[in-house]
Amino acid sequence: MQSQDRVRIALLAGYAIGLHMLERLIPTPIPWLRFGLANIITLIAIMLYGFRIGMMITLIRVFLGSLFVGTFLGPAFAMSLGGGIVSTCAMAVVYRTLPLLFSPFGLSLIGAFFHNVTQLALAYLLFVRRIEVILYLSPIILFLGIITGGINGLICGFIIKRLEPEITHIS
Amino acid sequence: MKKVLHILFSLTLAFLLLSCHKESDRIFKRSEFLMDTIVTVTVVSSSAEDADRAMNRVFQELKQMESLLNFFSTTSEISVINNAAGKHPVRVSDTTYNLLSLAREISEKTEGNFDITVGVISHLYDFLKKSHPSDSDINRLLPLVGYKKMELNSDKKDVFLQLKGMMIDPGGITKGYAADRAVEILKAEGIKAALVAVAGDIRGYGLKPDGKGWIVGIKDPRDSSEEGVFAILELRDMAISTSGDYQRFFIENGTLYHHIIDPKTGKPAKGLISVSVVGPKAAYTDALATALFVKGSVKGIKMVEALGYSAIIVDNKGEIHFSEHLKKMLKLLKHRISGSLED
Amino acid sequence: MHRKDRGLIKELLKQTTPYDWLLLFFLIIVSLSGLISMKKFLPSGSLVTIEVEGREVYKLSLFQDRTVEIKGPIGTTVVEIKGQRVRIVESPCPNKICIKQGWISRGAIVCLPNRVVVTVGSGETTGGIDAITR
Repeated sequence: MQSQDRVRIALLAGYAIGLHMLERLIPTPIPWLRFGLANIITLIAIMLYGFRIGMMITLIRVFLGSLFVGTFLGPAFAMSLGGGIVSTCAMAVVYRTLPLLFSPFGLSLIGAFFHNVTQLALAYLLFVRRIEVILYLSPIILFLGIITGGINGLICGFIIKRLEPEITHIS
Repeated sequence: MKKVLHILFSLTLAFLLLSCHKESDRIFKRSEFLMDTIVTVTVVSSSAEDADRAMNRVFQELKQMESLLNFFSTTSEISVINNAAGKHPVRVSDTTYNLLSLAREISEKTEGNFDITVGVISHLYDFLKKSHPSDSDINRLLPLVGYKKMELNSDKKDVFLQLKGMMIDPGGITKGYAADRAVEILKAEGIKAALVAVAGDIRGYGLKPDGKGWIVGIKDPRDSSEEGVFAILELRDMAISTSGDYQRFFIENGTLYHHIIDPKTGKPAKGLISVSVVGPKAAYTDALATALFVKGSVKGIKMVEALGYSAIIVDNKGEIHFSEHLKKMLKLLKHRISGSLED
Repeated sequence: MHRKDRGLIKELLKQTTPYDWLLLFFLIIVSLSGLISMKKFLPSGSLVTIEVEGREVYKLSLFQDRTVEIKGPIGTTVVEIKGQRVRIVESPCPNKICIKQGWISRGAIVCLPNRVVVTVGSGETTGGIDAITR
């Protein structure tokens, strides 16, 4: 691993954890409404540096974030880890196989969707074991995910647009 | 871009409007602990308020019935009658009177195989402490058993137990009677379909929203799990009750003591392990299931058939027998009952 | 709205592709039709079931006002039934999502951290059987 990579990973993971923590301070008016701001960083990392670094940032964010918040190895941690891994994979796969089909907006929607589906599945498998409860919550959670995922995608697109000139300049 | 947003917005709106569909029939269910058991009332109604009101009335009425009919409560009318045995007649409420005259009617029709005056002996069996009366106690008390020694005066609405020490325990018919009363109330409240289950005494009428009757399972007498059933049938304006040796019992030195006491011997009835009776009224199915169990042989099935009821019997070899009449309605999940009772 | 803001939004929307919108549209349809059909398929009834760690601890009537305390792995959750609705009043969980959900009369409230599931339904668990004579 090049030292440049390390710096990038550290920096981006730092942002991700920062956003992750910041999000916890914002009171949400609707239950289950999580902004998932850290996903912006993941998506940026995937688009600029590839899947490997994106996944690394996700893992660092999940592990360190849960240590900071105190949910390490708890139910919230399992959900966060599962959702993070699957959504990162989903976004990376779509971005790599169909690079120009979706903008960050669409990619973020895909990420949010897979994040939520994974979490619902994990909630069923690990905790709730009652399919009707999960089915009842799914549409609400998926719908909220579309909204936050969409907004995150737009923010991500904005940031990438601003970063691009500098990146081309550096490399 | 504006156009896209417009289309999305109107589509969203259309979906939201579609979602406001009209209120259809729903199933409401409520359980309460009453009469020493769980009473569950299930009603079909398009309005939560109607269902609620009807169920409130049912539970209110059943609570009142319990206070009148509870054998173990010293203030119940049953206790007052028992305390006045051999002394004087006791004037009682319509609820109690009707129950007792129904009990006697069934005693007559079943040649005394169902008899509420067996209470004087049956209350000596304690299934929590695992104790039973001695043979000498039973022989001493047997003369106090006999429904003919219970006088009912329909003009004065009073009840008199002729001999001092006599005791009636209507527990073998109260639950069915309560289910009948509950159905009466629900019908009067305009509920078009309902299922009332007072423990295992169940009566249903009308159809569920899916167009089917009420599906009732019959407990496998040798399966200790809550849900183990050996047969199911669809109830349409019918009642069903089950009497079995597994309901309350203990085993002492290899002998099984269960709660269904033969009025002729004062001891737990032998020969069958489970009897279910199906027919129009739950008070009848309740008492007839006991009577048939006491009778103790598969031939007894004719006794209930003569009264317009049908039965499903599991004998002590685990074989299942049932009335010809039930052939189409009954779905057997097991063809034999196996296993033994575990204390 | 400032002109600069409008310019920004325009810029953001411009970079989106038609497939983005197709995807958005598809997802909205899926979740909305889910919401609608849920309303229909939601078991209706008045039996409040409370589970902790997958074990059923209470079966209560929606029509009977009462408050119960449930001991879960991280503390005590307080469930209140009142006026034919149910809610979680107190919970030891960090996000308090369950409390924010407020009153419900159908459906479910889930508190994952304390492993508490409150459902309102008909309480049917045995496949298709309405009652058991025992």
